[in-house]
Amino acid sequence: MSDFAKTKDPSPVPARTLHREERFALLQAQTRRHFLRSFTAGVGSMFLGSLGSPFVSSVGAAERGVDGTPKLEFARDPSHPLSVLPPQFAGRAKRIIYLHMAGAPSQLELFDYKPDLTRLDGQQCPASFLAGKRFAFISGVPKLLGAQYPFHQTGKSGQWISDRLPHLEKHIDDLCLIKSMRTDQFNHAPAQLLVQTGNARLGYPSMGSWVIYGLGTENQNLPGFIVLVSGGNQPDGGKQLWGSGFLPSVYQGVQCRSHGEPVLYLENPPDVSRQLRRRMLDAVDEINRQAYAEFENPETVTRIAQYEMAFRMQMDATDAMDIHKESPAVLAAYGANPAESSFANNCVVARRLAERGVRFIQLYHWGWDDHGTSAKDSLNIGFADRCRETDQPIAALLTDLKQRGMLEDTLVVWGGEFGRTSMRENRNGQVMQFIGRDHNPGAFTIWMAGGGIKPGICYGETDAMGYEIVKDPVEVRDLHATILYALGFDHHKLNYSFQGLEQKLTSVKPARVVAEVLA
Amino acid sequence: MTFPVRQAPWRLRLGLLALALILLLSTLLALFPPDGVERASLAQFIGRFHLLTVHLPIALVLLVPVLEWAGRNPRFPHLRETVDFVWPLAIFSSLAAATLGWCLARSGAYSGRLVTQHMWGGASLAAACWLCWMLRGYFHDPRLAYPLALAATVALVSWTGYRGGQLSQGENHLTEYMPAGLKDLFGLSSGSTPLPRSNPAYFYGAHVEPIFITHCDSCHGPDKQKGRLRLDTYESLMRGGKHGPVIKAGNAKGSELLRRVTLSRSDDDAMPPQAKSPLAPNEVKLLELWIAAGASSTLPADGIKGAPTNEVPAVAEVTFPEIDPATVTKLRAPLAQEVSQLQQRFPGLLDYESRGSAFLTLDASALGPKFGDDDLAALKPISAQIVSADLSRTAITDRSAPLLAAMKHARVLRLNETRITDAGVASLGGLDQLESLDLYGTAVTPACLKTTESLPKLRHLYAGATKIPADTPVSDIMKGKLVF
Repeated sequence: MSDFAKTKDPSPVPARTLHREERFALLQAQTRRHFLRSFTAGVGSMFLGSLGSPFVSSVGAAERGVDGTPKLEFARDPSHPLSVLPPQFAGRAKRIIYLHMAGAPSQLELFDYKPDLTRLDGQQCPASFLAGKRFAFISGVPKLLGAQYPFHQTGKSGQWISDRLPHLEKHIDDLCLIKSMRTDQFNHAPAQLLVQTGNARLGYPSMGSWVIYGLGTENQNLPGFIVLVSGGNQPDGGKQLWGSGFLPSVYQGVQCRSHGEPVLYLENPPDVSRQLRRRMLDAVDEINRQAYAEFENPETVTRIAQYEMAFRMQMDATDAMDIHKESPAVLAAYGANPAESSFANNCVVARRLAERGVRFIQLYHWGWDDHGTSAKDSLNIGFADRCRETDQPIAALLTDLKQRGMLEDTLVVWGGEFGRTSMRENRNGQVMQFIGRDHNPGAFTIWMAGGGIKPGICYGETDAMGYEIVKDPVEVRDLHATILYALGFDHHKLNYSFQGLEQKLTSVKPARVVAEVLA
Repeated sequence: MTFPVRQAPWRLRLGLLALALILLLSTLLALFPPDGVERASLAQFIGRFHLLTVHLPIALVLLVPVLEWAGRNPRFPHLRETVDFVWPLAIFSSLAAATLGWCLARSGAYSGRLVTQHMWGGASLAAACWLCWMLRGYFHDPRLAYPLALAATVALVSWTGYRGGQLSQGENHLTEYMPAGLKDLFGLSSGSTPLPRSNPAYFYGAHVEPIFITHCDSCHGPDKQKGRLRLDTYESLMRGGKHGPVIKAGNAKGSELLRRVTLSRSDDDAMPPQAKSPLAPNEVKLLELWIAAGASSTLPADGIKGAPTNEVPAVAEVTFPEIDPATVTKLRAPLAQEVSQLQQRFPGLLDYESRGSAFLTLDASALGPKFGDDDLAALKPISAQIVSADLSRTAITDRSAPLLAAMKHARVLRLNETRITDAGVASLGGLDQLESLDLYGTAVTPACLKTTESLPKLRHLYAGATKIPADTPVSDIMKGKLVF
């Protein structure tokens, strides 16, 4: 306590009032240690205060972001967290249908035509392909593998396409192929997370969450972000692929089923009438409102909003998901069968949801991971089945959207999470019974069609073996920036303050809007 | 023997001193005009203070009329006496500012019309102030001469200040961000790109000159020649600047000009300077190819194979429009109340097109059959603001046709799967902004094509599942626009 001794006034001041003396004594008692202790708490609370809540924000003077330009305000009435907000600027796309081919389809069997690779089929892979590379399963020196299906040119744009997509082929002049996609993840779950959330780790909001956070949704009786899964398995990335991460959970995707009850337990149980359910909800809402008044936890509001939406959904979701209401001709065009669950059914539902103002419709079709370990995981058998399951429905979806004028403002995105190698997989150095390819994060193909995207073009190029990108690489974050641009957002501006960062879908590395593919 | 001046009042002595200084300065300016050569850094250091001192005489000169006017009020007669003190201050401060300005111009490599005018404006201002002061003190009846001189001095200070602003901020610094309406009023065209002055049949005129005029004209053009370099004509470009030629024909890498434009942006020598926008990669490429090909003024415009075009940059970039919240609020103000009432009545139905727009988008598709003619009628007050109306699958009928026809700004109109018929479509002929009309699944017949032909901007007419057969004969105007 030497500090204390030093600062103590040795000579008493006679004229001092009692009050001043007390104050002085108090100040004397404050040591450096006291200061440091309370200082850290003070700084901590300042930091916590700065994190803020999306529901408590200043109205009026526009806040400024790190770049000095006004921040976009995404605050809404807490009881309507999904209400529509205008985009930053007039975007061309109003909604998105994202067709994620889980497992990563081979670009070399669909769009990326490489005659030289076919010529060198069976040759030993050059050492330069292997140096410094990490593969999921390939070991030793694998052999090059040519395309397993014949290619031909098609459409006015003269694009190359394999014979596995005879229906989609008719829409080739509506598509914008990007053959130079690149990722930095070579395993399914992190790669899918990267594509869907902009980050390979768990805990980040998915693209759909960002989109409905930014734009809200027009139909308040349906979720704004609906997920439909087919192919018999959930995608490897799990439900985090449509999670809302650090955004309020009201923005997460809602997984629905195209067969049977659209959302499990959505219907009232037997002997519970809609009136009774309403009264129950009113009571629960009242309690939740009291809880919100007391603790102001935004998640309480989310809970209220979700109960209310579920109530409204009992009517509307059942109607939207019921593909029995489509004519047999339409069902036949998609190859859909209401009696079972399939990707084709999901495509019909996707169109019905798009018509009803659902902002982000995400379809996953599982089963594209063709390593060649079994018949269903092989390029010669399973791959052809996946093509058959998806080709006709996707083409029918595009036809429907185009006919109804919806392709003008609906952006359709098709793609996997990475590409596949130009080499045949040789798991454990063995020649395998079926033909397959390993994961290749270095190059893959996606396509986009509709809202704000230039139709009938091909962007980017891979080398003669289809192994690496030689022209106009597009990173996953560039794709995200481009999609957000089509919706009317600067990807920097669609952000949310969390952990001291203005978090965004494109994350922290610089992302480029691929202006060349914009219409 | 004594000079009369010795006994003269302080006013005369000070006046004569000021006159002497004015004459001295004018002689300096005439003998050593700014010539675009960069000189001693000390003079530049002093010269930079010009920007600081220059505002002093401006304020003082503008203060005089205020004092004179306010002093006429019997309550503040002393204000008029103050003027006698302000004038000498104005004279000496303008002298100081002009001298410093001359130091800056002379040493900082300035030359050209603008700087000459600004300089002589400054010197004249000192003289004008002197004249005013003298007129005020020595003419006992200053009713005409003095106010005239004062008005002229105020005009002179404004003009000189404007020229100075043009020097430092660019020639159009006052009008650059003028609202478009005002610009039209003053007859100033907005956003026009400078036209090439040389023959565009040659590579120089078509590709090279426009680059210099866009990026370099403000410092190396007719009005200002930093470093005695002018880039706005072929002759002056090839002559070069104070350090000699900037272009070595046939040797792109050895050309100073190319070196400067390709330097890293943080380099002090990089051109255009940091505050200005750099040359686009394709522009640099054009210069490089042109110099390498001999930098001739008569090389044909298409004389270099593989030259990038001026119009499409090598890597396309998008720009994000800046939103000014105050402007947006003002734009939206006339109908803000109606819009917010309608938004409360129909949640999710109506919203602004974007954060920066006062135009509206209408989307009733989520409401489907619950939305009918009577609901749409409620939108009457704001119908002219609607740029996109999605009424697909709603219960609207031909009764809504007048309201649809009132959507003068509509670019997209979606009436698919509604009960709209030819009669309804017939009233849409006046929608001259309409680009997309969706009639899919309605009962329209080929008769409605007559109306759609008159829509000048129409690009798509969705006519699937209607009574229009896919092989219906269409006029040339509608060719390629029908989607089935």
